[in-house]
Amino acid sequence: MKKRNRVMNLFYIPALILFSIFVIYPLCKGIALSFTNWNGYSQTYKMVGLSNYTRMLTDKNVIRAFINTLIYGGMSTLLQNVLGLALALFLNQKFKGRAVTRTLVYLPVMIAPLIMGYVMYFFFSFNNGALNDLLAVFGKEAVDWLSDGKTAVAILTIVNSLQFVGISMVIYLAGLQGIADMYYEAADIDGATPLKKFRYVMLPLLQPAVTSSVTINLIGGLKLFDIIMALTSGGPGYDSHSLSTLVHRTYFASENAGYASAIGIITFLLIAVFSNLIVQYLKKKEVEM
Amino acid sequence: MKAKKLLSAALAVGMTVSLAACGGGTEDSAKDGAKDSGSGDGKTIVFSTNVVGGKADALEAACKAFEEETGNVVDFQAPGSDYEELMKTKMASNQLPDLFTTHGWSVARYSDYLMPVNDQEWAADIDDQIKGVITNADGDMFVLPVDIDIAGLICNMDVLKDAEVDVDAIKTWDDFAAACDKVAAKGKNPIHMGGKDSWPIGQFFDWAAPSFYVTDDANSKAEDLKGGKFDTATWESVAGLLDGWVKAGYLNEDCLTADYNSDIESLASGNTAFCFYGNSAIMDAKGVNPDANLGMIPVPSASAGDEPSLIAGEDIAVGVWKDTEVKEEAVELLNYLAKPDVMKTIAEAAGSKAGLKTAEAEIGDIGEYLKKYETVETYPYFDREYLPSGMWDVMCTTGADILSQKDGAVISAAKVMEQNFNDKYMP
Repeated sequence: MKKRNRVMNLFYIPALILFSIFVIYPLCKGIALSFTNWNGYSQTYKMVGLSNYTRMLTDKNVIRAFINTLIYGGMSTLLQNVLGLALALFLNQKFKGRAVTRTLVYLPVMIAPLIMGYVMYFFFSFNNGALNDLLAVFGKEAVDWLSDGKTAVAILTIVNSLQFVGISMVIYLAGLQGIADMYYEAADIDGATPLKKFRYVMLPLLQPAVTSSVTINLIGGLKLFDIIMALTSGGPGYDSHSLSTLVHRTYFASENAGYASAIGIITFLLIAVFSNLIVQYLKKKEVEM
Repeated sequence: MKAKKLLSAALAVGMTVSLAACGGGTEDSAKDGAKDSGSGDGKTIVFSTNVVGGKADALEAACKAFEEETGNVVDFQAPGSDYEELMKTKMASNQLPDLFTTHGWSVARYSDYLMPVNDQEWAADIDDQIKGVITNADGDMFVLPVDIDIAGLICNMDVLKDAEVDVDAIKTWDDFAAACDKVAAKGKNPIHMGGKDSWPIGQFFDWAAPSFYVTDDANSKAEDLKGGKFDTATWESVAGLLDGWVKAGYLNEDCLTADYNSDIESLASGNTAFCFYGNSAIMDAKGVNPDANLGMIPVPSASAGDEPSLIAGEDIAVGVWKDTEVKEEAVELLNYLAKPDVMKTIAEAAGSKAGLKTAEAEIGDIGEYLKKYETVETYPYFDREYLPSGMWDVMCTTGADILSQKDGAVISAAKVMEQNFNDKYMP
């Protein structure tokens, strides 16, 4: 048996080699670069110690991007899960057109986020934007929706949530269909109200689905990039940047690859720590079926 | 069972090898391609450019003609907005295209990677308006300037005429503001700025800063900038100019979220008087509305004692990578682009003056304006000449804060500029 395991372990090697080349090596290289002042293209650079990390503490653009990243991660997760669960509950009923409705809700997931961002730009544009055209029908003045940082962050969160709500819906639908009817029947015999059945029967049994959905949504929100680039380019100024888009801007446009690497390392740690904490917390809440 | 294990192991090894081969394919194939195109004696030359649209089409057509004439193969690449990032990664790995355009940075950024071209036959014919811009302190030049970007403020002449603005009377920024007042009184946008992509904001600073720092001989700070000293008070004046325009309502209401295309559309459709772009924007606007009466004026001065000026810079400037394996063929292509008829065609597509004295491009209205202002003094693009590399983004983002009227944005812009200047400056 031991010999068999040793042989089977050899099959890890190809995956480990690729993982090392494409993930571990760039990560190590990124960590090393974060202690330099490299501009991203020159053949020389100097070591600057921890200054890139200490600079981050007082850089208002990094702090702003950090807060935005938490908003994109947290609020997107909340919206996608609440809406996804509601849609799953609704679409778990039998009614005519159920399959079409499920497809329509899931369809935006198939669109590349970058394309979605550009489509939404034409929706929120000041001039000839669909939303302002709609306001004009009701005699209202046009609004420059994306010119305020806070509004831009809110719009980006909503657009991201609505685009990917289909993923949560599918996960919850699968979860709902895996709950045996006997649990509801037992609750009925005990005289449970629909709300209590939801709270004490359905939700605990859906916990594995919650764990999957929250983790996927949280990671997706924390590394939000494409939609921001297409819809606001991180603007106005730096107001709607996430840490991911800030890394890109700092690396290429500001020619500060060392500092960008430091921000990237912090982003990596942020996603790793937050997603692990959430997964551990949710795993504890899961019940045996 | 044993056969299964062997088969699985063979498959795993096969997959690993094939994936590894995919990973290393680019470099190998590029090198192989550089040596031989696989068809006859012709070599493959990789030519990468930042230009897009009509300019790229003209360059590609020239490359096709070169292929037919020489039997070499030109791998023409025009990745558009990703070009600069792509080139930075290529510089980092020291694997550049055989020929590439330098988008204004032949000296400051790319000179270490380019072959000097002083010994080429056409080098003596380079137009004087661009010669200084593409020459380093040692007198070396690294690119063939296919055309020259000579820029002022582009404007819709019908809008200005309707507002009774005498364009020839605009000498200073105060005169410019008076013209903007007249345009605004007619219900039109004096200035249209597409700040969504941030670079149009940087354009303003590139246009306005020379009049405060460089063009006035009596108050020139050019030497200070080159020596590593940044004057924050003067930058406050530059930033204050933009701030004053925002407060006066000269800019379009959506200046933070509009983009380049909406600038062009507004200018072409007669809703805007001025834009801060080079002459290629006139070509783009003509594409939207061929009947638009568009022109240009020199950039006003900051003080009455100074004169308006123009900005001269590289547009389509092509250099040869110094370590290319196909140097002979790459130089041959460069020389082909320097032929007067080839250069003329490309410069006409760009709507710009040709870069060599031997070629004369017919560029219609733009040509007439360039002739009208041929005695106006030209200065290089401010950020390329007087600021360290990497400052462009700082100008753009601090400008966005001014457009959004954040508290203390003008003073903050000057401080941030100074801090970044000091961080990035290299003697």
